Amino acid sequence: MNERLRIIKDILWIFALAGLIAAIFRLLFGLGATTNLSDGVPWGLWKVFNMIAGVALSTSGFTVGLLVYVLRLKQFKPYVKPAILIAFLGYGCSCMALLFDIGLPHKFWHPIFMWNINSFLFEVFWCVMLYFTVTSIELAPTIFDGLKAKKLSKLFHSVAFVAVIVGISLSSLHHSSLGSLFLVSPQRLHPLWYTPRLPLLFIISAMSGGILFLVFIKIIWAKFYNPGPVFGSSARPLTTDIKVLNGTVCSISTRRLPGPEMKTISRLAIIGVSLLSVYLILKIVDLVILGKIGLLATGSAESILYIAELAIGALLPIVLIFNKKTNKMPIPVAIAGGAAAFGLVLNRLNAGIFGYLSDAGVVYFPSLLEWALGIGVIAAAGLVFLALTEYLPIFYDKPAKLSIIHLFRGSFHSLRQTWNIVLSDGLHRITLLSVAILPIAFVLLYPAFRATKSISVMPSTGLDAQRSILKIDGNRDGYLTIFDHADHQRRMGDSASCIGCHHLALPGDHSTPCSQCHRSMYSSASIFDHEKHKVFIAGDKKYAGLVPANQSCNECHLADKPKSAEFSKKCMDCHSDDMFLTGRSEIQFSTMNAVSFTDAMHTTCMECHKKEAAKPGNENIDKCYTCHQSMNKSQGTQAQELVNK
Amino acid sequence: MKYGILVDTTKCTSCEECVMACADVHNIDRQKSLREKAKNEEGLSAYRMSNIVAVSPGHFARKSCMHCLEPSCVSACLVGGITKSPEGPVVYDPTKCIGCRYCMIACPFHIPRYEWDKKIPYMAKCDMCFDRLNEGKMPACVEACPNHALKFGNRDELLKEAHDAIESQPNLYLNHIWGEKEFGGTSVIYISDVKLDKLGWPATSPVSIPSLTEPLVHTTPIIGASVAAGLLAINWTIRRRMKLASENNIEKQKESGEEGGNNE
Repeated sequence: MNERLRIIKDILWIFALAGLIAAIFRLLFGLGATTNLSDGVPWGLWKVFNMIAGVALSTSGFTVGLLVYVLRLKQFKPYVKPAILIAFLGYGCSCMALLFDIGLPHKFWHPIFMWNINSFLFEVFWCVMLYFTVTSIELAPTIFDGLKAKKLSKLFHSVAFVAVIVGISLSSLHHSSLGSLFLVSPQRLHPLWYTPRLPLLFIISAMSGGILFLVFIKIIWAKFYNPGPVFGSSARPLTTDIKVLNGTVCSISTRRLPGPEMKTISRLAIIGVSLLSVYLILKIVDLVILGKIGLLATGSAESILYIAELAIGALLPIVLIFNKKTNKMPIPVAIAGGAAAFGLVLNRLNAGIFGYLSDAGVVYFPSLLEWALGIGVIAAAGLVFLALTEYLPIFYDKPAKLSIIHLFRGSFHSLRQTWNIVLSDGLHRITLLSVAILPIAFVLLYPAFRATKSISVMPSTGLDAQRSILKIDGNRDGYLTIFDHADHQRRMGDSASCIGCHHLALPGDHSTPCSQCHRSMYSSASIFDHEKHKVFIAGDKKYAGLVPANQSCNECHLADKPKSAEFSKKCMDCHSDDMFLTGRSEIQFSTMNAVSFTDAMHTTCMECHKKEAAKPGNENIDKCYTCHQSMNKSQGTQAQELVNK
Repeated sequence: MKYGILVDTTKCTSCEECVMACADVHNIDRQKSLREKAKNEEGLSAYRMSNIVAVSPGHFARKSCMHCLEPSCVSACLVGGITKSPEGPVVYDPTKCIGCRYCMIACPFHIPRYEWDKKIPYMAKCDMCFDRLNEGKMPACVEACPNHALKFGNRDELLKEAHDAIESQPNLYLNHIWGEKEFGGTSVIYISDVKLDKLGWPATSPVSIPSLTEPLVHTTPIIGASVAAGLLAINWTIRRRMKLASENNIEKQKESGEEGGNNE
């Protein structure tokens, strides 16, 4: 087993284990707690990326079957087994991710017995379930051959043709129906992707993308296991030194000739790309027919995604494969295959997630756990793929034989060495484990991007038109205070009592809400608009001149003192007639800051409540739950009664 | 399709009594229901199935399930967990639900909400107080509305009433009944003095969504069968041609070998 392959396997193992952890977390804490899904974006990474895109990439199982068994193109026979394996694993890992995506995984079997024949999702469920069975039947002979169970293998061989026909018709149904899923939201899906021809576009793109993905996998697999037939023999020297007549040495590089298998691979790629060009044309014609082609030029995020999807997923492969120079070379063909697969996935993400974001008005980025499970399932499928291709005759008639001893076991030599020799002490081991595990656990539990922001305050609302009972809930978190304003006013002595609590109204105003100045929930906020004052004062005719603003400073600031808030006029010096300092004269507006909303509310109410608590019969009036009704259950019901009134 | 609710937005004062009544009837804590309002613009959630939306400054309307006559969610649910009852309400059956959330994609009004904070979550939406209807009572929100902005009754009679109101006060109301034709008609209908775009009503397209998808779904068995038949036909032709070609070859060989051979 070569070194690079081992590293790749180790990485796959890490991802798969992370996926396993994520799966456990998902089951322990529930769907909402572990994902960033919301009511605006109910379908996220697992459903759209793993399920819809994953299934689309696995179409090679039926397209190659179509080419070989129905159209009788015998030259593609060696690709049947890998294609079926890809289909089996693709569908397997899609179903696995879906199992964790649905809210009630223990009820996944419901659609088998509870039918709604009007639903596209119902049809997709049945087709995917049946097709997964079909791919298992198609894969069975290969597995049983490997296990030397000849009779079973023959049994499954005999039904192979029927399985292929059933598989193709099932595929033609559900790949188009996956597109039809989005037909239900003509108002919500972005117009670039919503078209009545979604089913047709989905099946053609899936067929072409699936074939090109198979090409991509084939070349990558060959790169690691058996480069000869694809990349050409590496024994041939890459450069040749030629002695020219006068004695100097010229080095001429000779191009390595691609291997014999490139011929079929490029034919397969050409079939895929032909379908892809049909898809590209259909897609553009569809835009023109619906009159939406202009949307591409708007420069919105959607139009960029749409262009990216077509440029990477369709134009690039078409250019690379239809070019006679590049379509015989393994690396450009692999790039074309990878690009087509990427474009296909992007298309599905666009139609399933990005196309809905502008309507939903929310941003969706998958949580760490969503990524972990989504990628982990694919990594696990990749490991199974590598193991089976190593152990069974999938790509060639004979198994690769390279690492039968290792199978798909990742070999953590370096780690094992460290563990056994350096960390032989128990305490060392525990330290190492906690160093590795604690941060991971912390990150998984507290995603950093859920940090809090400064909370702005919203004015209190009245429960009735007269605002006699107020709902004070500055940050609108629902933990509100029901404040009986009319009752307080009556007890304190009607209109004369306003000044007992209220202190200031802005210029030209009589009832400024508290939240106007105390506009941050927990921190103080600057309320003095220096620029506005400067412009206003400098506008006075007295300061006519080149730079009146410079001369106007002394109007408020003391001439021989630093120009700071400390040495300037107080608000009430100028605003004594238009701003109403209605009471609480102890508050001098020496600072330009308004304290936080919580502080303002607390100081206003608590001083008086503390005094009142000294009186007999009022013992509890200075307790927190007097106002914060939600802190006390018996008080909470009182608050509800108030609301009921 | 008997019952419906007529919402007169000119009478709504945003007191949210209907929302609180809704919470009480569905056994949701009022404080929790209040808290959900701030969470998104529409203010709907699994614990706040109806909400008062400011459709324009100073004008309010109740947003909740419209109980479409041809509901998209009913057609979309793969286990048939949502049904349109003959009385009018669109009713959800949690025992069937598997939590796929396709109804949330399908609803044009963004009505179905999910209990994201629960380990075993279900969908939640207004059910027009189906249990109360069976007891012969009105929906809780209608009963709670102090200003009679909500009216419960036979949908046809409510439509007539709405038309009468618009005719009698053409200066007050816009000449449109939201829910009369949109998406094939809804059981909850609105009359208003301002446009109700914020509630999710379409600008055009009065087509019901199931009429877009259901004919397509019903053709799928035919498509599947015809694809299979077509494949068999193609395969048969190709096989026969190959056979003929090889027979021809044999024939030629035979002809060249022994002259005047008699073949079928």
